[in-house]
Amino acid sequence: MPESIPASLIVDALKDTFREARAAFAAEGAPPSRHGHLGWVLSVPDTHQRTVLTALDKERAIRTLTCATEDEAVTIAAGLYLGAEPAVVMIQHAGLYASVNTLRGVALDGRLPVFYLVGLLSRERDRDPRASRHSMVRYCEPLLDVFGVPHARLEGPDDLGLIPEYHRLSRERRGPAVVLVGLETA
Amino acid sequence: MAIKPEEALRLIAGARGDAICVPTMTTSPAWRTLAPDDLSVTCIGFMGGASALGLGLALARPDRRVIVLDGDGSLLMQLGSLATIAGARPRNLVHVVFKNGVYHTSGSQEIPGGLAVDFVMMARAAGYRDGWSLGDLDDLRRRLPSILAAEGPVLVELRTTLAAETPVTARGGAPFHEQAEALRTRLRGA
Repeated sequence: MPESIPASLIVDALKDTFREARAAFAAEGAPPSRHGHLGWVLSVPDTHQRTVLTALDKERAIRTLTCATEDEAVTIAAGLYLGAEPAVVMIQHAGLYASVNTLRGVALDGRLPVFYLVGLLSRERDRDPRASRHSMVRYCEPLLDVFGVPHARLEGPDDLGLIPEYHRLSRERRGPAVVLVGLETA
Repeated sequence: MAIKPEEALRLIAGARGDAICVPTMTTSPAWRTLAPDDLSVTCIGFMGGASALGLGLALARPDRRVIVLDGDGSLLMQLGSLATIAGARPRNLVHVVFKNGVYHTSGSQEIPGGLAVDFVMMARAAGYRDGWSLGDLDDLRRRLPSILAAEGPVLVELRTTLAAETPVTARGGAPFHEQAEALRTRLRGA
């Protein structure tokens, strides 16, 4: 059964992810960052991950930028990457659907690493997401499959390693990678 | 009065210094001739994204000026980016909107609101530090140095004629992924 994950653990995983990404950029010869924080979260606020957003509000090591649309969030993340700044796009499934052309044009055709944390709002605890009663939940993984986007489910604290792993995967593949947040964060 | 876009772009190319530039749509054919370098990345294939791409670059590299060469129809597709940019307050971002009132590339259909849309007013209302609407080339020439040195984000609405070429009539240029990688490489070494 999936478990709800405490926000503090996700924030810690994000910090580890950003540290690793910065080290990778430095190894490629990127100049030192001009910023004091570890990385950027581009968010279109997601009810499912609201406890994480609340925790990020108090977090000085990560800069959160709230965007008007998911298209912007993805494209800003791409611009940050070009300047060797690590980022995470934090949205919900409806926002993924709303920004499919940007996923295609920026992350896939543009071959730019964009890592997404996508909240599966309304996902049922006792049901596989692909069998959900809710179309927003049910279509998410099939949509990602259509575009060949690697994805994984964050189903409990034991899965937190997926965040740095899939961020790394997006950099190695030069494209998008998605971690789906299975249950509402605690 | 209206400015020929190629003439405005020529002025910007001459004054930009080492600024990163993000052209899109009808500014892109002329820009790749006027500024054939790898400090530019053209927004191709995700219309409306130039302002957000410029914002990401500006936030990543506060040591460099970033100039977005946007279109009026393009900006309308992601108009919320005005508020996002204003909220992020990048001091190094100059947002130039080439306003011709139509979707030139697809056959010159009028944009919603046509030439009545006031991008300067919208940018100021969103929280940009300043904005100007210019329709005279000499005026642009005179004011460009101070605009490019201004603390951002600022927006310049250029009232222009139609460009001589569009991305459809003048195909070519490197694909987006090659331009992006060239810019990333260049920024890595600078």
